[in-house]
Amino acid sequence: MAAPLLSLRGVGKNYGAVIAVRDVDLDVYPGEVLAICGDNGAGKSSLIKVISGAQAPSAGSITLRGAETRFRSPHDALAQGVATIYQDLALAPRLSIAANVFMGAELTRGPRWLRMLDKPRMAREARAYLARLSVAIDDMRRPVEGLSGGQRQAVAISRALRWDASIIIMDEPTAALGVKETAQVLDLIRHLKSEGRTVLLISHNMADVAALATRVAIMKSGAKVIDMPADGLGPDDIGHMIMTGRAA
Amino acid sequence: MPGFIERYGTVAAGLLLIAVFVVFAPNFATPANIVNVLKDTSFLAILAIGFTLALVVGELDLSVADIASLAAVVAGWLVQMKLDPLLAVLAAIGIATVAGAINAVGVTVLHVPSLIVTLGTAAIARGFAFMITQGVAFVGRWPTGFTGLSRGMSFGVPNLLLWLAGVTLLAWFLVKHTRAGAHMTATGEAEEAARLSGIATARMKRLGLLLSGTLAGITAVLLAANLSSAAPNMAGDYFLYAIAAVLLGMTMFEPGQPNIPGTVFAALVLKVLGNGLVLLGAAYYVQDIVLGLIMIGSVAASTVLTRRPAFANKLNFRMRA
Ligand SMILES: Nc1ncnc2c1ncn2[C@@H]1O[C@H](COP(=O)(O)OP(=O)(O)OP(=O)(O)O)[C@@H](O)[C@H]1O
Ligand SMILES: [Mg+2]
Repeated sequence: MAAPLLSLRGVGKNYGAVIAVRDVDLDVYPGEVLAICGDNGAGKSSLIKVISGAQAPSAGSITLRGAETRFRSPHDALAQGVATIYQDLALAPRLSIAANVFMGAELTRGPRWLRMLDKPRMAREARAYLARLSVAIDDMRRPVEGLSGGQRQAVAISRALRWDASIIIMDEPTAALGVKETAQVLDLIRHLKSEGRTVLLISHNMADVAALATRVAIMKSGAKVIDMPADGLGPDDIGHMIMTGRAA
Repeated sequence: MPGFIERYGTVAAGLLLIAVFVVFAPNFATPANIVNVLKDTSFLAILAIGFTLALVVGELDLSVADIASLAAVVAGWLVQMKLDPLLAVLAAIGIATVAGAINAVGVTVLHVPSLIVTLGTAAIARGFAFMITQGVAFVGRWPTGFTGLSRGMSFGVPNLLLWLAGVTLLAWFLVKHTRAGAHMTATGEAEEAARLSGIATARMKRLGLLLSGTLAGITAVLLAANLSSAAPNMAGDYFLYAIAAVLLGMTMFEPGQPNIPGTVFAALVLKVLGNGLVLLGAAYYVQDIVLGLIMIGSVAASTVLTRRPAFANKLNFRMRA
């Protein structure tokens, strides 16, 4: 097997007296879709926050592409190639698609000191990113609030592509979506997978997990209790493992 | 994207209003009156552009008028003392910028809502203005090197209008066409998203509030130079007008969003309206009533135009828990 892209060793996270994550070892390999499952409060989001740079771990170390690292902020993680797709938090609803895709990393032209926006190029590239995800929208000046939930996710993912992120983290990407939009987001994840990107997926939807994941890690009371390939696992198997904490 | 009607409906209404006064208000369309209205618009618009920049980063700056009054008094005081006009101008703009910096520190370092910080700064500025003048006004025969800033002409155009054009263009370019402007807008529209994208949101807030102060200082210099006098509450009348201009401007061009062209055109509409009402013989209090209706009506109109509550994601000046 190839070397892991990202490795956690002994990672823990406390919120005061609450132990949200305890002593987690996790290896993430290039190109896999790793689903992280578990009951409410199992510590999935807390673990993800450590990997995405939103929270510093209370214990343990993170190794990225063979070198130990730490993420000082979500943006720092993004700059190192680890992008997180937040539900709606990370989009500015009234700003344009292009402004959202390039937020914080706008393209400029002309003299350096002027930092003048290169709007035509941002529109062109934003359209191309969306096209790569098979989302065809013509007018990049449209505010994202007018888009469907699936299209909004595509905009958020385009931002990750703009940074050429190798690891894309999605916490409950379909939680607020209808059937059709959910299918659209699953397609987006398949696209990422086919581009060879690594996806970390948190989901309570066992059908989604069974359909997409190449590997499943299950958490219980802050600890990782199961970590196994997803081949051949059905939604019921995964549900059962979450309940019992034992491999099917 | 908002449609044509949403973007230009109130612009057309404003143009119509101007046309009505041109036709019906006695003496409205005389060159002297038009120059007068445009000059008055310039003071208002420059002050309101400052307010707009603060609102772009999601903060309210209720101190613009009092900061302008203080800066005017400082300019008048120094000119009166026969200081080089250039130094007086720099001092006035400097003190206004410092006041803006105090607002910035209050919001981004002390985490006091801008609504409170700027009201506090306003009271402090007013106090200092009265202290410096001891309650009276500085009036005098001031050097043309100073008064010319406002009253002079260049290239056959009143200097005041050149100031307005310059400030408008710079502010518009900053907000719409630079990376700093994009970061300011993102900060005001969705602070959390901007922060997660690595935008230095606190720095953007400081920039908006600082520029608001600076523009209050420029307004102050132009006002004092135009009148050859400086009184401790001289910009007070512009306070509600400036807010009204920004709110009305938010119904134009980019509905729901504070924007420079909207602010400037709205300032013109408000000043035309005020002037036209006077010429039509309306009592002085009618202007205030109309102004209040426009302020409330503008925000309601923004809500209708964008089909969502105006200010829905500009909550920073609300009390935060
Ligand atoms: N900011 C916080 N402060 C204190 N406790 C927290 C905080 N965030 C999470 N916790 C606690 O840590 C534990 C793990 O929470 P976490 O959100 O990681 O679970 P989760 O697996 O994502 O759950 P869910 O499926 O409901 O999203 C819970 O007991 C939760 O109450
Ligand atoms: Mg969670």
